[in-house]
Amino acid sequence: MRDALRRRVQALTRPRTPEALPVAFDRHRIYVLPTATGLFFALLLGTMGLGALNFNNNPALLLALLLAGAAQASLIGAHMQLSGVTVGAVSADPVAAGEPLHLKLSLGTRDARVRRGLKLRHGDAATHASFDQAGATVDLQVPTDRRGLMPVPRIELSTVQPLGLARAWAYVWPAQTLLVYPAPETQAPPLPMPAGAEGKARVARAGDDLHHLRGYRPGDAPRTVAWKASARRDSLLVREYEQHRSDQLMLDWEATQGLPYEQRIRRLARWVDDAEREGRRYALRIPGQPALPMGLGPAHRHACLRALALLPQEAAHG
Amino acid sequence: MAEASPMQVRSRRRVLLATAACLLPLLLALPPSLGIGFGMGAVLVAAAAWRKPLPAPLRILLGIAAIGAVAMELPGVGRDSACAVLAAMLALKPSETFSLRDGRALLGFALFAPFATFLLDQGPTSLVLALVAVVLSLLALRRLAEDEAGLGQPSGVRWWHGSRDVLRLLALGLPLALAAFWLFPRLPAPLWGLPERAVAKPGLSDSMTPGGWQDLMNDDSPAARVQFFGAAPARGEMYWRGPVLVDFDGRTWQQPRWLERMPAAPLTGTGQSFDYEIELEPTDTRQLVALDVPVGPPEGVRFGYDRGLYVDAPLGNVTRWRMRSVQAAAFEAELPSVLRAQALALPRGYNPRTLAMGRAWRREAGTGAGSDRAIVERALAMIRRDFAYTLQVPLAGRDEVDDFLFDRRQGYCEHFSSAFAVLMRAAGIPTRVVTGYAGGYRNPIGGYWLVLNSDAHAWNEAWLEGRGWVRVDPTAAVAPERVFDTIAERRPGRIGQFDGLVPMFDAGDWLRRGWNDFVLGFNAQRQRQLLAPLGLDDLDGRALVLLFAATAGLAMAWMAWLIARGERERDPLLRAWHRLGRRYARLGKGRLPHEPAQEWADRVAADVPRGGLDLRTLSRRFSDARYAGSTDAEAACLITDLARHRP
Repeated sequence: MRDALRRRVQALTRPRTPEALPVAFDRHRIYVLPTATGLFFALLLGTMGLGALNFNNNPALLLALLLAGAAQASLIGAHMQLSGVTVGAVSADPVAAGEPLHLKLSLGTRDARVRRGLKLRHGDAATHASFDQAGATVDLQVPTDRRGLMPVPRIELSTVQPLGLARAWAYVWPAQTLLVYPAPETQAPPLPMPAGAEGKARVARAGDDLHHLRGYRPGDAPRTVAWKASARRDSLLVREYEQHRSDQLMLDWEATQGLPYEQRIRRLARWVDDAEREGRRYALRIPGQPALPMGLGPAHRHACLRALALLPQEAAHG
Repeated sequence: MAEASPMQVRSRRRVLLATAACLLPLLLALPPSLGIGFGMGAVLVAAAAWRKPLPAPLRILLGIAAIGAVAMELPGVGRDSACAVLAAMLALKPSETFSLRDGRALLGFALFAPFATFLLDQGPTSLVLALVAVVLSLLALRRLAEDEAGLGQPSGVRWWHGSRDVLRLLALGLPLALAAFWLFPRLPAPLWGLPERAVAKPGLSDSMTPGGWQDLMNDDSPAARVQFFGAAPARGEMYWRGPVLVDFDGRTWQQPRWLERMPAAPLTGTGQSFDYEIELEPTDTRQLVALDVPVGPPEGVRFGYDRGLYVDAPLGNVTRWRMRSVQAAAFEAELPSVLRAQALALPRGYNPRTLAMGRAWRREAGTGAGSDRAIVERALAMIRRDFAYTLQVPLAGRDEVDDFLFDRRQGYCEHFSSAFAVLMRAAGIPTRVVTGYAGGYRNPIGGYWLVLNSDAHAWNEAWLEGRGWVRVDPTAAVAPERVFDTIAERRPGRIGQFDGLVPMFDAGDWLRRGWNDFVLGFNAQRQRQLLAPLGLDDLDGRALVLLFAATAGLAMAWMAWLIARGERERDPLLRAWHRLGRRYARLGKGRLPHEPAQEWADRVAADVPRGGLDLRTLSRRFSDARYAGSTDAEAACLITDLARHRP
């Protein structure tokens, strides 16, 4: 019931649709209402005023009116804190779905007044900013739940300055989308063997340098388990070898055959991250677009993860 | 939730400071024992609960103790005891105030303290302290709002930090507040009465026990201010008549309640009359004082039998009355026997020596015409000869009048008037005691008369054949200078031999009178006369509401204008440019958000036929001025061109 009411009110408040940045707040989109404290004070002042009028006690009446005037002016003060504030741009570095996106908003003002303690909020995430004409960049964490292009949510800017009796708020709703990478699979098998090098790798295994031991993942071959080392620990350990000749990886959509659609994407994402971590060059082949060539490094990773993130959602895939 | 989060230590100190400032005027208005006790209690509680709340049982114990103290000092339920309880609760509240929400609630309740103060006292000290309290409370509120917004306070910032903002808020709200103050329709009569005090203030009352005015005679606060229209009476004739006391029980003179409802006694004047306006400080009694003898009571005032003036509700505020008084030629020349008997009654078994002397005097004077007058003169001659004036009087014994007349022979007006009345009654002359004020101080600034509480006086009225009640002042027979304050040492504002502060006192009292006039004495009746100088007599309720709505609307519009002005673009060049853009936007040719100015000008100017300056040129000049800089003259010229341009 309350949520429904809130949604109705939200639907009526401006902006009703996403808008192009930059945006400056003016009286058409700033809302001001008393806070709970403000209502409490209104009640107190009303009682005082009524009593003073009844007793015709002029100093008491003047006192109540003075306070009421200041409270009324504080409503305006709250409005002035927001009016003239500009939101210049919004950006965020992509993160994997499920992790909070660090939304960076650049705020500024059109006048010389100092803004103090402006609160930015979306959902449960909130942050505060104080700035003057020089402006400020604010970091607001927005939760993500799915890969792909996420529209920037409607962000609320609010303030209870100067007295905490009134709260002024306004929304900014940038017409912009932000990229969210797919969440990498948590329990993924090791990277696939390089294309066409499987046999050689096996033969050469004995001569490979033992690189290090790592924790067991489902799908590891039993013969790679280091039983002696595992017996000393409580968990299974697996031998990993330096694979000198096999640093050309092909991460292929077809290699993940048999998995659910989204999990295939997540596995590939995981492999991209693994390959980056291990410093091996990799290429990515996914349906519906030409394969991404061999490469390594942040730009390549971004290109691959972006391609994965932008794969059509499952329903569309069909 | 931010509300339930704890206050920062610094913020809490601010809140406590504001609470203390709110509490201070209330403590000063309470009886000193309670005021000092609660003040010290508040400091101790705040110190004990500096870091963590006091345990609940201890808080409850302290609360009970405080209420017990109030019940002891101010027995009964009255507005003073209610205010004392409020003060006690405020003194204790900080012991459990640690969250943000508690802090705000405390500030709200604390603001009730100055309000309560004004129910007890409306003097200038209370006013100034209340104003300070308001500013400090708003400062504390502001600090709490900063807390909520996560603004840490840098160290080294003093408590007055932000007071400019707060004063600015008060100034912004002032027009609205004043409009409401003067124009919001006032109640002609209260909906519910002001609760009386549990313990009365020192002042004139319906009873008098000789020796009981010690406090009043030393109280230099004003009691009344009088502006005469036309002639003022001589100083020796300035008797401000208040309660008339008739019943005597051997110790205390009382005002008989039932005489208040009787019709006023007939009065014939000598032809000399005085017009004046009297402004009375609040007394919390229903009786007014007026120049001896008042005629034709003002609206809302009734005469009692003895021509005392009564109103329906206790005078809790400054009030102003337009009055007329005359010099009496005959005041109740025919005295009904019941009233005569009442004015002769003496309690049995008190003051035997005085009674004997009164009877002896009657025997010697006989009962012929003029014998009463002779006895009165004889008494005055005796007092003039053998008696002295002093305020240092020992505690009275059982036969107080005997002690005074035959042994002590020293006292002040209460003793003189009481003894004179008993003596005259013993001699068979109907006599009563009149209390009020005598004399006054003429303030050269403003030309009005100031009557202080220390001018309180008691004198007598003796009933003489043919004249009726005649004023007799035995104290004036001894020490007229003390009665009428003609000696320089008694001038208000004088400290010892130093009278350099007298002009300041005069100016101060004149200001206070103006404040009384303008603010304290303002009521429904004065409100109706508000526009009389503009020829609009007697505003009715509807006109007042309209006037109030219009003025309040203007004040709000002013605030709204401040908002609009705050949004306005500061740079005149940009403003002109934006205005130009809006003109095009109205035609559906507005600049797109991403479009550079020059591109837009090229696109739009291509298909808008126009005369005068080319938009493209303007746009180029605008870009140059914005990004390459320009002189003031160039900018001004460009602004004019931009303003002239029409699509």
